[in-house]
Amino acid sequence: MAALLRVEELSVGFDTEDGFADVVDHVSFDLEAGETLGLVGESGCGKSVTALSIMGLLPKPAGRIHGGDILFKDESLPRIPPDRMRAIRGNRIAMIFQEPMTALNPVQRVGHQLAETFSLHEPGLSTETVTRRSLGLLEQVGIPAPEQRLLEYPHQLSGGMRQRVMIAMALASGPDILIADEPTTALDVTIQAQILELLRDLQRDTGMAIIFITHDLGVIAELCSRVVVMYAGRIAEQAPIGPLFTHPLHPYTRGLLASIPRLDDEPKTLLTTIPGSVPGIEELPSGCRFVNRCPFAVERCHGQAPVIDAPAPGRKVACHRWREVNAGDAEARST
Amino acid sequence: MTSYFVRRFLLIVPTFIGVTVLVFVLTRLVPGGPIERMLQEAAMAGGDFAEATSGYDGLGGSALSDDQIAELEAYYGFDKPVLVSYVEWLGKVLVLDLGTSTRYNDPVWDTIKERFPISIFYGVATLILTYGVCIPLGIVKAIRHKTAFDNVSSALVFFGYAIPNYVVGIGLLALFAAHLEWFPLGGFVSDDFYALSGFGKVVDVLWHATLPLLAYTAGSFAVMTMLMKNSLMDNLAAEYVRTAIAKGMNFRRAVFNHALRNSLIPIATSFGSNISLILTGSFLIEKIFNIDGFGLLGFESLVERDYPVVMGILVISALLFLIGNILSDICVALVDPRVRFGSGESAQ
Repeated sequence: MAALLRVEELSVGFDTEDGFADVVDHVSFDLEAGETLGLVGESGCGKSVTALSIMGLLPKPAGRIHGGDILFKDESLPRIPPDRMRAIRGNRIAMIFQEPMTALNPVQRVGHQLAETFSLHEPGLSTETVTRRSLGLLEQVGIPAPEQRLLEYPHQLSGGMRQRVMIAMALASGPDILIADEPTTALDVTIQAQILELLRDLQRDTGMAIIFITHDLGVIAELCSRVVVMYAGRIAEQAPIGPLFTHPLHPYTRGLLASIPRLDDEPKTLLTTIPGSVPGIEELPSGCRFVNRCPFAVERCHGQAPVIDAPAPGRKVACHRWREVNAGDAEARST
Repeated sequence: MTSYFVRRFLLIVPTFIGVTVLVFVLTRLVPGGPIERMLQEAAMAGGDFAEATSGYDGLGGSALSDDQIAELEAYYGFDKPVLVSYVEWLGKVLVLDLGTSTRYNDPVWDTIKERFPISIFYGVATLILTYGVCIPLGIVKAIRHKTAFDNVSSALVFFGYAIPNYVVGIGLLALFAAHLEWFPLGGFVSDDFYALSGFGKVVDVLWHATLPLLAYTAGSFAVMTMLMKNSLMDNLAAEYVRTAIAKGMNFRRAVFNHALRNSLIPIATSFGSNISLILTGSFLIEKIFNIDGFGLLGFESLVERDYPVVMGILVISALLFLIGNILSDICVALVDPRVRFGSGESAQ
């Protein structure tokens, strides 16, 4: 079965004061209809830029796709005319953002902003139909007293409510794909859980695919069926959710998982971290980009970028030494 | 919100009294006044310059007797303590009597009223030109940030801003009126204005107004254009514009439907003060172009110590200024739903 969305060898760069900087480097993944794919990585690893590239929302003129392709139902999104892209954007592929506080226009009523989505993709709907469907959407995303909310301004809603409104706007035309760029990061934990549950329910009811971008592995575990781990603009590892947590292959993924505090850890001990920090965009190592923080790094890792191996169906890993790393693991387990 | 505006309107009363008391007392404290001027004139009429100079002292040896001076002081109210005459003056103002000009012996209101058509014409024309140029220019500059158009127009508006408007006026007058003779040397209308046809009158007014208007507005483009540009650029970078585009909206519509209204908020904060435009007029520009507007009236009444006119202009301008501020607040509340004056519900 052909994937709904294929990202193929995508490379994205930005013009900066010091010249052109590669932010996303040969990133490939597929998204099947109806699945939830997690895109995980530290701040600045290129996960948001990947999402904006899919939406065609890269900041212009600084950012541009200079390699690879994005295929949505066999249409190349970077190459189609702007009109066609506008018909897909917000209609077939919708996106919600990190900051619900600023993502809504402060001087327009919620109902107006919601109705706008209908007018863009289904012009000619009667006012009554738009109101009826807007109310339906607000109910669907769990907003109480929707009639009243339609007449309110964004500042009259709480953060969680605003994110629900954003989700309602994204759902307006029943998209095939919803890209959620850290939608719960700005919300407090109880609201976070509610929004995640809402997204899961919506996916079950509508059958849309979700690309869920986060730096929070806990959120990934709750929501996603497959995960793409990114590091410094490249894919480190790609795996179904279960194997990723039980048998991570890439040293970076292992480091991330080891950094999650556990309830059965000795209290008041130092938390495990990955030593060092993400290299800046100007000082990327020439070989593997994780080399300066990797406990398994050898000579080869410095000079040569790793090729992507596919050790099992649905699994990919970009590491020279994943076999040795995991053999050591197996030894440790057997002794 | 209503209670907020009621309170604001009530606050006009003490502010107005404060302003007028201050100026009224000042007119008593500074030397010179209608009586001194009258003495001087009487002395000059007598042709005796020696007496004229002694008349400046306002005392013995003048053209008027002490009795006559006392009579005049009583006539002008100078015989009473300053606050008593202030209260008398205020009582008259409350029944819309601004007194009589000591220079023209005409009612002050008539003197002021005569200047309204000229000042309103220049005020409205300046307003339309400023907003009509600055808002579109700011929008285009924001969208074409850092292009040649943006840089050149910035240089031009700042060039206009850097030169004092009376210098612009003199330059325009010397070049286009005296040298090239394309425009008249001054005045509001031609001498044969009343003989002209309706359309001819319009053309005549505009023909006379071109140079003064250029002088008035040359310096006023910079501030509002840059305010508009920066405010729109801030809003174009805002996330809600990205949301609008992510919904499938095209850029142009996102600019006009979403970013523009938000970026007009800072401009609305000063909109109400435009009500004062009926009193606008720079005395230097009016002097250069020989226009009988408010600038000249205000300046001359000060020089001539025509205090009833000075106070009359002050009454009108203070009221307009105070009301203008409240109107600005109302404008802001109209364009920004987050602004709720005076109630517990605060904006974020």
